[in-house]
Amino acid sequence: MTSWWRRELTARARAAIAASSIAAMIGVWWLASGPLAWAPPLFLPPPQEVAATFLRMCVEPYIGSTLWVHVVASLRVVMTGWLLAGLVGLPLGIAMAWWRRLRWIVFPVFQLVRPVPPLAWIPLAIVWLGIGDTARVSVVFIAALVPWLMNSMQAVYSVDALLVAAARSLGAGERQILTRVVCRTALPTLVAGARIALGNAWTTLIAAELLAASAGLGYIALNAARTLETAVLLVAMAIIGLLGALFSVGMRRMTRVLAPWSVRATDD
Amino acid sequence: MRTRSAAPRPAAATAVSGPKMEIRGVSKRFVSRRGEVDALATCDVAIAKGEFVTVVGPSGCGKSTLMMIAAGLEEPTTGDVLVDGTPAGPAGPRRSVVFQKFALFPSETVAQNIEFGLRVTGVARAERESRLREQLAIMGLEQFTHAYPHELSGGMQQRVAIARALVVRPEILLMDEPFGALDAQTRSVLQEEVSRLRRVMSYTVMFITHSVEEAVYLGDRVIVMSRRPGRIKKEIAVPRDAAWRGGEIEAANDYADFNAVRREVWELVREEIVRQ
Amino acid sequence: MTSGGATPGPMPRARRVQPAILYGVATLGILLIAWALATSAFALVAPRLLPSPAVVIERAATLITTPFSGATLAGHVVASLQRWLIGVTFAVVLGIPLGVLLAWLPPLRAAVTPAFELLRFIPPFAWVPIAVLWFGASTTTQALVVFIAAFPACVINAQLGVGQVDPILQRAAQVLGAGPLVTLARVVMPVAAPSAFTGVRIAVSNGWMALVGAELIVGKQGLGFLISQGQNNDSVSTIFVGIVAIGLLGALIDLALQKAQARILPWTPAAAGAR
Repeated sequence: MTSWWRRELTARARAAIAASSIAAMIGVWWLASGPLAWAPPLFLPPPQEVAATFLRMCVEPYIGSTLWVHVVASLRVVMTGWLLAGLVGLPLGIAMAWWRRLRWIVFPVFQLVRPVPPLAWIPLAIVWLGIGDTARVSVVFIAALVPWLMNSMQAVYSVDALLVAAARSLGAGERQILTRVVCRTALPTLVAGARIALGNAWTTLIAAELLAASAGLGYIALNAARTLETAVLLVAMAIIGLLGALFSVGMRRMTRVLAPWSVRATDD
Repeated sequence: MRTRSAAPRPAAATAVSGPKMEIRGVSKRFVSRRGEVDALATCDVAIAKGEFVTVVGPSGCGKSTLMMIAAGLEEPTTGDVLVDGTPAGPAGPRRSVVFQKFALFPSETVAQNIEFGLRVTGVARAERESRLREQLAIMGLEQFTHAYPHELSGGMQQRVAIARALVVRPEILLMDEPFGALDAQTRSVLQEEVSRLRRVMSYTVMFITHSVEEAVYLGDRVIVMSRRPGRIKKEIAVPRDAAWRGGEIEAANDYADFNAVRREVWELVREEIVRQ
Repeated sequence: MTSGGATPGPMPRARRVQPAILYGVATLGILLIAWALATSAFALVAPRLLPSPAVVIERAATLITTPFSGATLAGHVVASLQRWLIGVTFAVVLGIPLGVLLAWLPPLRAAVTPAFELLRFIPPFAWVPIAVLWFGASTTTQALVVFIAAFPACVINAQLGVGQVDPILQRAAQVLGAGPLVTLARVVMPVAAPSAFTGVRIAVSNGWMALVGAELIVGKQGLGFLISQGQNNDSVSTIFVGIVAIGLLGALIDLALQKAQARILPWTPAAAGAR
């Protein structure tokens, strides 16, 4: 008989506990902000107010645009930065893993730049490029570039040398080995790199919008904090979190689509 | 596994004088963080066309290194490898390889793996498909045609690897302890299949193993290597048409001639293991 | 054999990498020289946008001795480190035990995970406005942001570490008469420790990045604040000095932790943690 402290629960039990815990948390929230008044409504508005605010923001403009327009503004910047970083980082990472000389040249520069948090580049970007989309896209680009490049390099590096030997002994040339064997085998790891890059990009974007923007979710959040509209702030935070979660789940799905042969019971 | 009644490879009309593959004066020295290691002392091996040579020796004697050099996947420190009398050059489909760890491409199905060598060398589609079907039938893989390697057992994966190596019609087949990663039962079955396959198609084969029984059962000639740095200790011929060929490997132990050769080889290997 | 291409395999250790070092040093040297030339001799770039290396070094020297925006360079560094340390300490002290418990008690895991997953995707910086609302532009705000950035990595890696301990070890302990607490403390924890430590390293570095961002947005002291002041005063050299200091400190912290891990947990395998 397995000891009680590691015994797994059935899926139903798990779902039941999860549901009741979420319900409990919402209940506590409601109590704390309403009847029991543990926290003043300024600090923590009740759940129903947040929900109402959300619905309102969908139709009425807040600082110039409705909620969805702000979402699109944020998404536009994040996607541009992320895709550009992929266009540069993915091929460069693969090339660096494949050709030693290139790696010897590029990697030291990269190692110098890497420890600097992407956000620290924002003031510089503002001085050089002004407060506009370009500055934010650049910072997002830098934030996404690091994972794109490092993961691509690592992905190619971790391809079993035995597979390369097998391909060679079957008559494949260098370029064929690179494309047909190495890149395809490394695909799941490459997609994981893309996913991490997107997560970084999203985080950095929000911060960039807190510093230098005139539209977007981060901008809404900052403004709402200044004008003490806490419900709006919570709505913004929730949407930010939701989008982040969607990105992550979406990328994982993409792995399953692009590389169906790598379906292992996955990690984080 | 069914052995198809495909025509065995035609005997060369123009007999090539001299061995099919010759390993001449090959030695290998590695440079590692602990200094220099001599993996192989000078070795000379000649394999005639259609001969099945097995190489056996104690662990670490360098037999896999020898095979990698023969395949063109590693460069020898001295000496060279000749095929049909001319230097063989880097690895290619003339000398195809079956690895111990299968080395199947995880992103390709069974069919795609087997076809790989044909695709990269630009074989025409019709020809590719017919050869693929032939190999699938020979190795008993038809029902797994579209499966991925990770869905197959070890034995099936190795069958795919063998099919992949054979479909390119290599001049020489090199096998590096191909059954070492399999369980004992699968190993026996595959050994018997290889033996039966051998009788139908006479490939030139260099087969590395650490199992003396396997070496004698499969080989026309057993090459015994010394411990590291490996050199050729002795070569022992095994009659090609012996009664126990192609039968169950278990049954071979009942034959006196098999046992005699097996014991002789085992004594030679044991000497190397025990020697200080 | 390989014509100029590299054979993929495990990352080569630094063993006799003379060529690599040469290339690296040469590349950095060339960049440095190009930078110096572009800004002084050839004046390709306006000094306002990109100061020459000499100016940056001079600025660094000035900052070390003279206060700027409230403190000398050392003062800002200390302020940053303080907040970072507070946030990270809380994250580790709360996060690792939570991770262990989550792995150890399935009911707890079922209860907590949904909330955890929901909150995890809200980037630390998204908490800055509401933290400012609650606590004002103070150290607490920034320590909170650091905490939020560092907490998930601690929990997840500790959870993974414990979760990946081979159950057979627990069964062995059980048949030898050990109760649950003893098994946890003496069998499971040591095996899970390397993974948890890796989590700490990741958490710590996440926290550092988050701190800089938080200081950029709000604050009256610290390296992030220094940089934003540099921007406000149009002093790119100050920004550069700040960036270098941040990068350097971040790298040093990680290096120190790496060495510590090798010392404290010599049985660490080369495993990667969750990010």
